[in-house]
Amino acid sequence: MKASSLTSPARRILAGVAVAGILGLAALLPVQADDSTNAPAATPPAPKKKISGVELYAIHCNRCHPERYPVEFNESQWKTLMLHMKVRANIPAEQAKEIMKYLQEEAGY
Amino acid sequence: MKIRSIILGAAAGGCAAGMVLPASATVSDEAFNALSDMVSKQGQALDDLKKTHDQDQQLIQQLQQQLGQTSQLATNAEQKAEAAGQTQTVYQAPNPATTTTHNFMVVGDAEVQFGKATSQNPTFVLADFAPIFLFRANDNILFEAGFDIMLNNNANADGTRAPGSSTSVNLSFAQMDYCLNDYVTLAAGDVLLPLGTYSQRGAGWLNKIPDDPLIRDWLPGSGIGAMLQGATPIGQEGQSLTYAIYGVNGPSSGNATNGIANAGDLDLGGNVGSSPNWHANPSAGGRVAWFYPWKVHYDLELGVSGQTGEWSDNRNHRWSACVLDAALHLGPYFEAKGEYINTWFGTDDLGDVDPHGVWVQASYKLAGLQREFPLINNLEMVARYDNEDDAQGTRTDRYTVGYIYYISNTMLFEGDYEFLKSRGPNALPPQMWVLQLSYGF
Repeated sequence: MKASSLTSPARRILAGVAVAGILGLAALLPVQADDSTNAPAATPPAPKKKISGVELYAIHCNRCHPERYPVEFNESQWKTLMLHMKVRANIPAEQAKEIMKYLQEEAGY
Repeated sequence: MKIRSIILGAAAGGCAAGMVLPASATVSDEAFNALSDMVSKQGQALDDLKKTHDQDQQLIQQLQQQLGQTSQLATNAEQKAEAAGQTQTVYQAPNPATTTTHNFMVVGDAEVQFGKATSQNPTFVLADFAPIFLFRANDNILFEAGFDIMLNNNANADGTRAPGSSTSVNLSFAQMDYCLNDYVTLAAGDVLLPLGTYSQRGAGWLNKIPDDPLIRDWLPGSGIGAMLQGATPIGQEGQSLTYAIYGVNGPSSGNATNGIANAGDLDLGGNVGSSPNWHANPSAGGRVAWFYPWKVHYDLELGVSGQTGEWSDNRNHRWSACVLDAALHLGPYFEAKGEYINTWFGTDDLGDVDPHGVWVQASYKLAGLQREFPLINNLEMVARYDNEDDAQGTRTDRYTVGYIYYISNTMLFEGDYEFLKSRGPNALPPQMWVLQLSYGF
């Protein structure tokens, strides 16, 4: 029984190639999406700005589910949810604080 | 004024009468008496008028006094009202929604499924309520516990049908999270294991396809133990490195006879406490990952995780797992994710076996087409390929296509059709379709 399962290296290779293909595509995309690669050589690179709370909110929420509207919860509830999400998605504390600042401004009632 | 005018008029009338009468005229007694009576009556009338005047004056004074008292009352009432208003401003009742230092919440999801597999009748196959209770003790401590509450048909021990139904309540996880500092969080209890990302981020309404990838059945979802996890940002643009390291009881042998660990005895979720029939050696595991967003809605996450430990009571067999996971977002409409999972464990009857498999899933929200057709902007199309080789003779390849209709951002109506190529002693039906209504709250 075990021997039959181990005689399928081709399938494993195919599966590995499929995953590697996605990862390879993903690795290439950031380079293609970076507009600075087409910029004139003489132009100094623009200083990178710190990402904002609302941007971090959009980035992290959409990793797993559609964004919730900030007004759906009050500030205290958002504190609880943010702590929950910080652990669940392993969000850096610094970014979690920026997101919380945004939610404090936009929270409901 | 009128009274004085009358008096003066009467006096003037008397004087005028005296002047008109001739000096030489003599006054008879009768005329004198009549005049005397008239003067006497006028004097009496004058006294009456004076009395009336005095009474009027008293009445006016009383009225003025009462008016003064009324004005004083009104002034006092106004001052009191003003003082009350000032008191309300100073001692405004606090809003508990914004001032509480702790909070209790219930989040989670609920699903109902209707489906059909080959050679079976279509039926409602699932009703699931999965609440997660959250209690924030303070800004650094959170208790969280998730449950799966489901209805099941009753069955006899041999699997045949028994009358009635029953409700099962399963504890999916229950952990305390303590943020020690910005880089380390301690999680303890029945913790969700970071073997890939599916267990930690795979609630019913989060999955784009109603059922789980087949190979996930070969991994435990949670374990009793403790975990240290954290993340460190790289730069200021959202990039981060994350880690998790943990120790849990790990899998055990489900064989009723102590010391036996056949392949079919592997129990991934049953080792939850001290018992003479179970091994007492914990397993160790962890995950490291890199998360790179290059702009909003464009990000990549790559992770590698694993776990290893003894699972047999005699401590002569080890169970291990390795997971490679990846997730990619290209804009707000496209997502791809997948995992490669390999597990292996020693057994008494089959030697070393290594169940393994892969799942890859891609989805696209049709709103990205920017068409104004009805319903289209709420639709997301999804496709998945997954396989599973149990290393005991059964191999399954499954191709799934489906859709998600977003009734709202938290209520989803999903459907999928599955084509399976399954062979071996535990082969699955060749086709299946499922409709699911799910709600996240």
